Amino acid sequence: MARNRQEWLEKPAFPNTHFVDTRVYTDEALFKEEQDKIFNKVWIIACHESEVPNKFDYRTFHHPGGAELIVVRGEDMKVRSFYNICPHRGNALLYEPVGNAKRITCIFHAWSFDTKGECIDISRGKQGYQDRYECKDAGLREVRTEVGFGGFVWVNIDDASCTLKEYIGPALDMLEEHMSMDLEVFHYHKAVVDTNYKLWHDTNSEFYHDYMHYFNRATGMMQPGYFDRKYTGYPNGHASVGSMSIKYDAYSGSQERAVGWPGLAPGGWILIDIFPGMTYNLRTSVLRMDTAIPLGPNKVIIEFRGLGLKSDTPEQRAERVRDHNTIWGPFGRNLHEDLLGVHGQGVAMRERTDSKWVIHGREENSTIHDEVGMRHFYHEWGERMGRKPFDPYGDNRLAKTEAA
Amino acid sequence: MGQIENIALAAGSRVLVEELVYSTAMRMDEKDFAGYLALCDASYKYRITAYSPEIRKLMTWLEHDHKGMKLLFDNLPKHNSDQSMLSRHVTVYTVKFEDGGKIADVVSGLQVFRTTNDGGTTTLFAVGKMHDRVALGDDGARLVDRTIKLDTRMLGIGFHIPF
Ligand code: FES
Ligand SMILES: [Fe+2]
Repeated sequence: MARNRQEWLEKPAFPNTHFVDTRVYTDEALFKEEQDKIFNKVWIIACHESEVPNKFDYRTFHHPGGAELIVVRGEDMKVRSFYNICPHRGNALLYEPVGNAKRITCIFHAWSFDTKGECIDISRGKQGYQDRYECKDAGLREVRTEVGFGGFVWVNIDDASCTLKEYIGPALDMLEEHMSMDLEVFHYHKAVVDTNYKLWHDTNSEFYHDYMHYFNRATGMMQPGYFDRKYTGYPNGHASVGSMSIKYDAYSGSQERAVGWPGLAPGGWILIDIFPGMTYNLRTSVLRMDTAIPLGPNKVIIEFRGLGLKSDTPEQRAERVRDHNTIWGPFGRNLHEDLLGVHGQGVAMRERTDSKWVIHGREENSTIHDEVGMRHFYHEWGERMGRKPFDPYGDNRLAKTEAA
Repeated sequence: MGQIENIALAAGSRVLVEELVYSTAMRMDEKDFAGYLALCDASYKYRITAYSPEIRKLMTWLEHDHKGMKLLFDNLPKHNSDQSMLSRHVTVYTVKFEDGGKIADVVSGLQVFRTTNDGGTTTLFAVGKMHDRVALGDDGARLVDRTIKLDTRMLGIGFHIPF
């Protein structure tokens, strides 16, 4: 039966852990709080080491906490990160997404910095500042940086945070052996979508939406073993879905897959979600990495990377590129469907739409269509935010009273 | 043959080539995929490429032969896709004849506009260049090879129908 407004607002008949208030996706104040309490506290992937292969190579990055960053490889080959802002009058130091800079010189008044973040020249410094201000006062703000877990460059705004290893814990154990060799990014693109970043991560945390993909319906869901795959939750909100055999021949036109991935059984699939918006996805011959970078409650940049082995022959690489793009490229079979889905959620749930609840209520013994992956995420979200995802402002009992 | 005849022949061939290129764009705009494939040779190869300054690499975003294109078109109704209309605006820039005029190497400018179904708002979706190989024979012109080199890399939610 269709519901009237009162019934619409009534709490779903699930435990409180099994649904969330849609304000967690739409509320501006909650988003700013997420930047402070989540994004500026956790380890975030800024890029991959193969994007800065040589000394003095740099890459810029918009950190989801808000800061603009420079990731740069020093003369000592160590990768460091700094705020991309000139300490003088606040200009961006580097404008291009990528480049090589032995010296980082601000175009405005030519202050210069080295790749360790030290100021090495203030133009006409003595004349203007006498002894009141000098290079030692003008260093860049360094951001903690570690390279690991597949050669990704991770950054953390919080100087007092735990190490990357502690943050990841055992979450990537299943992938570790598959990422022991040097990897290289061969695909990169971004999508800006008017939706909440968590909705993208949610999509990466549930397989029930295989109903949206003809490809997955035909190749995955119909195959024996599909419903046996299990979710595992890890500390800090990370989660994994175990390997699943995909029968590619079931989708007409799929050829024999030859290149594969070292150690991964043909048809194997490992997906690991790292809190709060990164996903490792190893399938066929490609490792895909999604990074969700929110720009507001209803706007997100998603960075998509496809990785192969650094040791690939041109033929192997070409096959990985094909495997990647037929499924996950901007013109591929699956990606546009996933993006269309979260776009639709962004339309239906933006502020003032009178949306109220999103249900994460499926229980199937933690197997593939169970929604435990999302529940695990929102538990962590609640802990870090000090708020209840089902009642972020503590005012939802009002709706209940109304309904009573 | 005198020079005048040669020029006339080349001009005539260029018209054939241009018509073919424009027809492929029109067939795609109309979603007449069978009509599009009928303009392509059996050995047809299609790809979309883009250069990423971020990773300093040329990327291939889609690559299909004739069979692969047909399969992609046949599977379209099974997918959940954005249903906006695309309008491909093509301008043939240069046509160079090879092999005694039997092959034409064609470079065109490409702009793709997207028009929403709800309200009909049109926005520029993508720009790039189109590099075509066209075979000319007794039965007219056929598209043998097409590489779309996109400048635009931000395609939002993406698109499953090639340009
Ligand atoms: S703003 Fe950078 S040198 Fe002045
Ligand atoms: Fe999906």
